[in-house]
Amino acid sequence: MKVLAGRIAIAVAVLALWEAVAAPLNPLFYIRPSVLPGALVAMWRVPELPPLAEHVWLTVKEIAAAYAIAVAAGLWLGFLLGLRTTVGRVYEPLLAALYAVPSVIWYPSLMLFFGLGPASKIAFGVLLGFFPVVLSVLAGVRQVPPTLVTVARSMGARPFTVFRKVMLPAMASTMVGGLRAALALAVVGVLVGEILGARAGVGYVISYAYGLMMTREYAVLAVLVGAGVLALDTAGALVEARVKRWAG
Amino acid sequence: MPDGVATVATAPIVLDAIGKRFDTSSGPVQAVDSVSLTVRREEFVSLLGPSGCGKSTVLGMIGGLVTPDSGRVLLDGARCAGPSPDKVALVFQDGGLFPWRTALDNVAFGLELRGVPAAKRREIARGLLEPMGLAGFERKYPRELSGGMRQRVAIARALALDTSILLMDEPFGALDEQTRLLMGEWLVGIRRRTRKTVVFVTHSLQEAIALSDRIVVMTARPGRVKDVLDVTLPFPRDLNAPEVTELRAKLWEQVREESLKAMGSRP
Repeated sequence: MKVLAGRIAIAVAVLALWEAVAAPLNPLFYIRPSVLPGALVAMWRVPELPPLAEHVWLTVKEIAAAYAIAVAAGLWLGFLLGLRTTVGRVYEPLLAALYAVPSVIWYPSLMLFFGLGPASKIAFGVLLGFFPVVLSVLAGVRQVPPTLVTVARSMGARPFTVFRKVMLPAMASTMVGGLRAALALAVVGVLVGEILGARAGVGYVISYAYGLMMTREYAVLAVLVGAGVLALDTAGALVEARVKRWAG
Repeated sequence: MPDGVATVATAPIVLDAIGKRFDTSSGPVQAVDSVSLTVRREEFVSLLGPSGCGKSTVLGMIGGLVTPDSGRVLLDGARCAGPSPDKVALVFQDGGLFPWRTALDNVAFGLELRGVPAAKRREIARGLLEPMGLAGFERKYPRELSGGMRQRVAIARALALDTSILLMDEPFGALDEQTRLLMGEWLVGIRRRTRKTVVFVTHSLQEAIALSDRIVVMTARPGRVKDVLDVTLPFPRDLNAPEVTELRAKLWEQVREESLKAMGSRP
């Protein structure tokens, strides 16, 4: 309770400071928090802006697709590299090197391949979300205690049973961390993709508002996205905590 | 008793000149070399020796977890190829309990693999935990139990398989001295009740003397049989009896020699 009170106090203090600093400055560049609620209401009927709901829905669909593909591909490659030790040792440095490259440099080529539509945004979300999944699976496979596998084998468990009843639960808490990070990165990938070049989506609307110097609307959009991501990540954190408690 | 043909055919465990070599980064290491041993039905045999002498490897070969490079392992007269959970159950040093399973579900694990229905296997598991002083702890997770309790759960899990052979790899090695002695006394009781054939790996002289019918002393790497000693004292054993002291001195002589070799040969 004390912690929660502290957090609220900090949030209020930050908003107050923001208000105080922004108040005497140019309202076009320095948006005060107190104008945001009004701007949010006004934004629904701004004729220059594209109607928001469709764009939100499109972005949500893109994120879902990107995350699903990133998780599927990441789990597949992670288990392939983790369970086949030789293959894993051959490819892992390559993977680590690729991960070190700032992913945004691939975005132009993704646009060339997939066009201006949703596909290139999904592809970029996949690219960002994929690595944490693979790397967490690899780390997870390695931290499965060998004794537990031996115990199951000694009791006659076949390889697939060992995988399902021993390896998966033993690596769950590591993997769930990677899956959570992947979700956050898939969101970033899709939004960055939309901002860099798109004809629809929340990122496109943000870029549009920014282009017309509608800074107030832009700020509202940024806050909305922030709130959405925060809600998503909080849900992710709850799931992670549950899995960790279960997997000990 | 000599390892004659008649005993080989009926003995629960026969090791016939088994050997195992491991490839390590510093070249191949002969872990076990030509170990032969016949374990009689309902016998309690301890493998005693310095650390790294291949005791656990021998146990792994009996359990079908490690394939010997040479020689053969016979279980009830049949050649052992891979784990045989219907005949052999294992208990490991650190217990090897699944941290995401409750004590009850840990004990039920082997039955689950056999396809025993959930209600039935829980009933069996509960029946095993209760006489071990673990009634009321069925729903606890391993991290909520003490070291001695965890080890008892691990033993219950092995007993749940209801095999005639029990292999134990330093099951009390991680426990403190007092708990260890108590667990030993308790194991003597279990053994009398369940009439199992037990092979028990340990590096504790005290433990070997307290529990065994026979003690197999192994040499430092490569692990061979150095000596086999019969312990005929009745159970429960008084560890301060003069015979025990004498036996301990004799064992210590042999183990000391091998431990010194093992220390000297360490890289």
